[in-house]
Order: sequence, then structure tokens, then C-alpha cells
Amino acid sequence: MRWLGHIFVFGVAALVGLPFLWMAYAAFIPPEQVFTGNIFGAFKPSLANFAVLAKEGFWDGFWGRLVFSLLASGSVTLLQLFTGFLAAYSIREGARLLPFFLVTLAIPMELLLVPLYGLLQGLHLLDTVWALILPFAASPYIVFLLFQGMRGVPEELLEAARLDGAGHRVLLGQILFPLLRAQLIAAGVLAFAAHWNLVLYPRIVAGAPGIKTVQTWITDLQRQNPADWGPLSAAALAATLPLVLLYLAYERRIVETFEEGLKG
Amino acid sequence: MQRTARPFKSRARFGPRSSAQWFALPAVLLLGLFLLYPFVDVLRFSTWDWSGLSAPRPIGLENYRQILQDPDFYKSLRTTLIFSLITLPPFILLSVLLALALDGQPYERGIKALLFLPGLVTLGGAAVAWYTLFSPEYGALAAVVPVPRWDQSVGWALVLIMLFTLWRHIGYGVLVVSARLKAIPKALTEAAAVDGANPLQTFRFITLPLLRPALTFLVVIGTVLTLQSYTAVFLLTRGGPFGGTEVLGYYLYKTGFEIGRLGYAAALTVVILILTLAFALAQARLLREER
Repeated sequence: MRWLGHIFVFGVAALVGLPFLWMAYAAFIPPEQVFTGNIFGAFKPSLANFAVLAKEGFWDGFWGRLVFSLLASGSVTLLQLFTGFLAAYSIREGARLLPFFLVTLAIPMELLLVPLYGLLQGLHLLDTVWALILPFAASPYIVFLLFQGMRGVPEELLEAARLDGAGHRVLLGQILFPLLRAQLIAAGVLAFAAHWNLVLYPRIVAGAPGIKTVQTWITDLQRQNPADWGPLSAAALAATLPLVLLYLAYERRIVETFEEGLKG
Repeated sequence: MQRTARPFKSRARFGPRSSAQWFALPAVLLLGLFLLYPFVDVLRFSTWDWSGLSAPRPIGLENYRQILQDPDFYKSLRTTLIFSLITLPPFILLSVLLALALDGQPYERGIKALLFLPGLVTLGGAAVAWYTLFSPEYGALAAVVPVPRWDQSVGWALVLIMLFTLWRHIGYGVLVVSARLKAIPKALTEAAAVDGANPLQTFRFITLPLLRPALTFLVVIGTVLTLQSYTAVFLLTRGGPFGGTEVLGYYLYKTGFEIGRLGYAAALTVVILILTLAFALAQARLLREER
């Protein structure tokens, strides 16, 4: 019975891992080999596909889009952690706002493409960087995760600091911030991934060449040359690697924080 | 009595630190403007004939009347239901089986980390990997084994979207069940074993009933995920073949931003939101009654 479980787990794990292995492999297939169809024949890894990516001007090409997306998603992450940390503190200190955040948590942002478009148009933010950043500057999910973390901080600790004359700034910066490091990192990675993975939204509100995200860039390339997978795979790998590395670095904290959040 | 006493009590407790209330202001304002307001404002857009470029023209409930007679709407509604029906059961079954098989194994942490990864990685990149791997014409897999023609058969195209959706979210499902599983006291299952129950009986009569809240949560989450699957549709099949994978979300996107009927798309949004809500409520009630 037990070995059946092992086989099942490793079978599923192999299937889940397969697209990753393929992505890593395909990025280095020499172009000639793709066109002859001899994909799994003698494999001589080549960097030709990455060279193709660099052909266009830097900012319009792949690498510029990658840097731009890193900056955009990075700023959104910092903003969400900042607004979320403050809001979580506020609830922890007695503000009766938890219901508000739970209600906003239940609103599916994915379905609000049309009214968001209308709102951004009204604010004259369409096709500006702000369209990618402002609507994501606060996230009810991050507020919730951080609040959950703060709930675990003993009241006596904060009370003692308060008696010593600590103000909000000391409580936030010198006590809660270091104590919540794990939750902040986990929430940060999740926030980053969620923004990084937006596909349709940036297409709609930020289509101008200077503010295209890497996702839009790859999807465009896929639509133009669906059969040219050397460069496509190289772009996919290069765009995926930052997230994989980020995840691997903090994987334990992310999974733990997640499980912790599910219990509450 | 208690109700009248409460404000005083809380003032006594929170009075000196009430200034902390203001710290929530940025988050509240931002969410109010970019989430709550659009959520309400969509009603106003839905009464417009509006392309986004021209000035809007109010047309009352005309959009809704058209939706009721729109064959494409019913078709995408049907596709969404079929897709949910083929995606939800394997999602829940796999989550439970994997969580059970992983529980307490030395490789538990490593495998969980791997299963969770697809949900985080670049969606566009993942779609490229899937596309080049599974494309029936020039995909890598097609060079080794025959791949069903999902570019010509609606059924296989839906299966492909289902597999992609499962691939992305199975890690989350496993975590949900696993967190619940860990909360079940070992003494319970051990006592059952002592009383002569075999592992299957222990699972059926002890573990499964205690997993019920996690399963309820999975059904709700799974429903939301299938409604969001239209990004996968956009990336892998573009609604084809023959519009057969056009789920509601994709139909909404197409109508609004490819055809440019934003007012109509707003009305579709309202209808989809109402359907989602009704669906979630019905599920919640059903699951509660079962218990």
C-alpha cells in the first residue's frame, strides 16, 4: 500500500516538473535543430536563442522589458507591504476595519477589467506607468496575511514598550518589523508573483511600447511567431528565472506562512 | 446591556492609541477607489453604449436585454459550466490524495515546494513551455508520442486548459488539505486503529468527516479558479477551436477589448458577478445541509 503512495506522489511530481525541465532544455536548443525537428537528438547546448532576444534595441527588446517589469512589480510589492503593514497594525491596535478588508478580499479583481478601464480613463492614467502601479498599491490579501502575523505577537511585549514611552514609529519599526520578517517576506513574494503574472490587465491599460510588461512582450512574440520556439523558450526561461530563484530562496517561509494563513 | 457597555469598554482599552486608526487610511482609500468603486461603478457603465473611444450614450437596460438573447453568451456559459464540471472533481480528488500520500513522508516539504511553484512562475512563460511541449503539430512531445489534436477538437482543448489549470493550482489545494490534516489529533486515528478499524475505515469515518471544512473551502476556491481560467484560454487556445473554449471571462474580455463594446462588456460583468454569487451561495447552502 505504502509504495503505491510513493509512486503516485513521484508520478505527479514528475508531471508537474516536466514543463520546467522542458523550458530549461528548449532555451538552449540550437536553432538548426528546431527546424530539422530533431529535438531530442544529439544535444549541443547553444546560446543562440538568447542572442536573438538581444537583437532589438534594449528598452524595446526583451531585456529592457524584463528590467521594467522587475521595477514595476518590485514597486508594487513594496507599496503593498507598506500599506498592508500599516493597516494590519491599525487593526491590531483596535481599528474595526477587518470586515472592510474581508469584503474587499471577496471582490474578484479579475472581473473588474471594464470598470477599472473606465476609471483609469477618467483619471487620465491610461497608458501610463501609474495604471500598472496605483490600482495594486494596496491588497486586502496582504493586509490579512500581515494581520494574522501580528495577532501572534504577545500583547505584553507591545504594552511594555508603550510603558517605556515607545510611539507608533518605534513599535512599528523596531518591534513589529523584525518580528514579522518571515510574514513580510512571504507576503512580498506572493504580492510580487501576483503582479508579475498579470496578463490581460497590462495589455489593456498599458499597451504603449515604453511601458509594456515582459508578459505582454512574450505573449506578443508567441502570437507573431508561434513556431519559432528557440527564442520563445529562451524568453520564457529568462522571465521565469527571477521568480524561481526568489521562491527557492524563501520557499520554506512562503509555504509555512501560507499554511499558517489557512489555519486561521 | 452588553451592547451599551461596549463603547466605554473599548474606549478605555483603545482610547490612548486611537491615533493608530489613521494608519489604515492609505490602504482603505486605495482599495475604496480601485476596488470598491469600480465594483459599484460597473452598474453605471452597463447602461451605456460605449466603445471607450467615443462618448458614451446611455441606453438604459438595452445591454441586458441583448445578453438574454445572445447565443454566444449562452454558449460561453455552457462552456464554463462544462469546464468547471471536468476541472473541480480532479482538483479536489488530487488535492486530498496528494495531501494524504505526502503526510509525514521525508520528502513532504520538497514535493510541496515543487507543487506550489507553478502557481508563482511567469504565466506567459509557462504557457510558452506548455505550448511548445504539447502543440500537436510541431510540439516536442508530438515527436515522441502522438498528441491529441486539441487544435481541432473542442473536447481535447478543454482537457488541455483543465490540465494547465490543475498544474498551476494543485499545490495550493494540497496545502489547504494538508493544513487541515495536520490539525487532526493523531490520538483519534490511533484509537480507531486500536479498536480494529482498517486504514480505509479510519479514513472514511474519522479523517474524511474532519476534512470537511477544507473540502468546502476547496470547492469555493476551485469555483473561483475555474472562473479565472480565461487567462489560460487566452494564452493557449484563444477561445478556439471554433470558439469551443470561450469561457465567460474570455467572452467578456473579447467583447470589451477586442471588439470594443465596453458597455455591453460591463453588463456582462454584472451578469457574471451575479451568477458567481448565486453559485457560491448555492454551494455553501448545499454543503451546509449535507453536514
